[in-house]
Amino acid sequence: MRETVYVLGGGQTRFGELWEASLADLIREAVDRAIENTEILPTDIDAVVIGNMLGGETAGQAHLGTLVSGCLPHHPPALRVEAACASGGLAVHTACALLESDKAETILVVGAEKLTDVPGETVTSALMHAADAEKDSPSGLTFPGIFALTATAYMHAYGISRENLSLVSACSHRAAVSNPFAQFRRELPPEAVSKSPLVADPLRLLDCSPISDGAAAIILSTKRESPVRIAASQLASERLSLSDRPSLTSFGSTRSAFDRALAEASWQRNDIDCIELHDCFSTATLIHLEDLGYCEEGEAIRLYCQKDTDSNGSLPVNPSGGLKACGHPIGATGVKQILDCYKQLTGQAPNQVRNAIRALAHNVGGVGATCVVHLLESIA
Amino acid sequence: MRCSSPRVHRVTSRSPTLTLNPRPFVDHIPALHRRTKELEKERLLPGKILSFTTIRHPPNGFGQEPYTVALIERIDGSRVLAQLTREGKPHAIGAEVIPHLRRIRSMQNGLHVNDLKYEVVKTADIPLFTVHAYVLALTGPCGVGKTTITRSLLSLFSSVAAQVPVYTTRKSKRTDIDPYITVTEEKFETMVKHGEIIAHTVLRDRDDYRAGYRKEDIQAIWKQAKLPIVTTDLRLLEGLSKALGRETILSCGLLPPGTSRRRMLSTLLHRLRSRGQHTEKQIEAQLKVAEADLQAYSDHKHLFDHLLVNDQLETCVESIKELVTPNGRV
Repeated sequence: MRETVYVLGGGQTRFGELWEASLADLIREAVDRAIENTEILPTDIDAVVIGNMLGGETAGQAHLGTLVSGCLPHHPPALRVEAACASGGLAVHTACALLESDKAETILVVGAEKLTDVPGETVTSALMHAADAEKDSPSGLTFPGIFALTATAYMHAYGISRENLSLVSACSHRAAVSNPFAQFRRELPPEAVSKSPLVADPLRLLDCSPISDGAAAIILSTKRESPVRIAASQLASERLSLSDRPSLTSFGSTRSAFDRALAEASWQRNDIDCIELHDCFSTATLIHLEDLGYCEEGEAIRLYCQKDTDSNGSLPVNPSGGLKACGHPIGATGVKQILDCYKQLTGQAPNQVRNAIRALAHNVGGVGATCVVHLLESIA
Repeated sequence: MRCSSPRVHRVTSRSPTLTLNPRPFVDHIPALHRRTKELEKERLLPGKILSFTTIRHPPNGFGQEPYTVALIERIDGSRVLAQLTREGKPHAIGAEVIPHLRRIRSMQNGLHVNDLKYEVVKTADIPLFTVHAYVLALTGPCGVGKTTITRSLLSLFSSVAAQVPVYTTRKSKRTDIDPYITVTEEKFETMVKHGEIIAHTVLRDRDDYRAGYRKEDIQAIWKQAKLPIVTTDLRLLEGLSKALGRETILSCGLLPPGTSRRRMLSTLLHRLRSRGQHTEKQIEAQLKVAEADLQAYSDHKHLFDHLLVNDQLETCVESIKELVTPNGRV
């Protein structure tokens, strides 16, 4: 990083089916909590970045930058960014770029999504906008379907059993019990995952992250200091359509973004104490851990069998509950991951990883087509 | 089926007035018509299933019934995402499919959209991702001793190893790359197009000629539970590792003796001259290729498992023997 970018903190709404709240309500609530928690003056904010994917399609609201800006008394300049499920991470990345280039000194970063006001099929169709409209959508694929294609290939290549795969979702649910903002705060036995209805085989309902509403906001600054800084912010892309990929069992964008992030921060893989991972589907979780280089190809399931990924394990993954148990309001996820990392590094997390000093936030858009990686460090 | 681009779907309707027909437009422009025909041919290729899933909750317009979508690799190597037809054999990874034009969805205004669906015609005989055995590949510049080493290996392991026949377009016959099969240029091209030849290259002797390996031959040797041996150059090696998977190839690069690249090249020059088969001009050309080959060892490290110096034939053969049979078993 060219400048030291401090994470001052932030706030979020509960994630879930929030029928009583509109997209604007969610944004207002997250922004208010962020300002309250960080104890800054609203007028200290000199720019706003919001990450959102489907405002127009599912909430009838585009032009979100100005909408957020309007929540502040001095309506600072604002912009909206989009990279499907990585929209939140991209908003943080964009804010870092603005701070590093000295275009702003303190930025409010928001991620928000409102999905449950429209029927399920409409959300299903709208989510397919994240795939290739010419090559993927005409066959009648859904988004779980695209990930199921990678899951079939992955399970075939490495012989993963249904029983073992169910440990992945169970681990996320175990972590979310203490998280007051999570959509599902109850433990889930692996057998329940194995018995849940098929969505797109081999993926079952409880292999998938849910459809959720929610918003999260954080405040980044180069002027005001805090005990947590962003050590690296990297963005990478891969071919949009699955039919153009060299591999079905690995996503090149994760490898490239993480390698560059480690180089930017001058860290080793093993320096990282906890990970907020983009666990949109159980098999994707395994692929991500392999692409991040924490195990050999086809071996990630062992981490779950040995409970290494629990918050007291050797490689804590998603101590917040991840996308699976916290919910996945598309644009909000990437921002909420940074907020959860901040809480871990300042010792405020409900499911605290002991002595967490360095954290990784990994946010993916499409079927691994975009990846945003952030590295955070406690400098207290 | 006609279309002006690969993803404009032919739209049909119950009401004739709504039928969209791009034909007159296409017919007036010969080049476009030809291209459309080409695309049609391209799209109608059969293929194999790489992965599949059954969609239980279809998006708008695709009906209520679950259907199966597969990622298909067509025989020309291109990939497509498409639905499978309900009839046909059970689907699996590696199963063979052929395309049909079928109705795929209905739009709200009553228009029906047709697209290709694939029917499974043959279930998978060989699982696509399983490594059965491996291929021993020997790579090196001309004159380094690939042929001699291969012969020596074959005489040592005649019961467990076999050389993969080379398909070539070369007219003149030479005895040192037995067994090889000469085919015409056209036949070679067809075999490449149909995916029978999985790796091919252009070699230079007195004239340029093409040479390649057939997948069928390698599989036949595997079926006899033998180890296929291939002598390759960089392009053949790349082709093989792409077609069979890098992990399927035990790849040995052979180096001429010498402490520097210049010394190595002078050894090769000496060997080529002493063969007495080529003119000085041809030798010069071969040396240029050899220099590029030596550079390839450092530029394409990922393609080689071991680099061996062919100083003495016996030692080199012995080291390959050890690589192939690490436990000393033959």
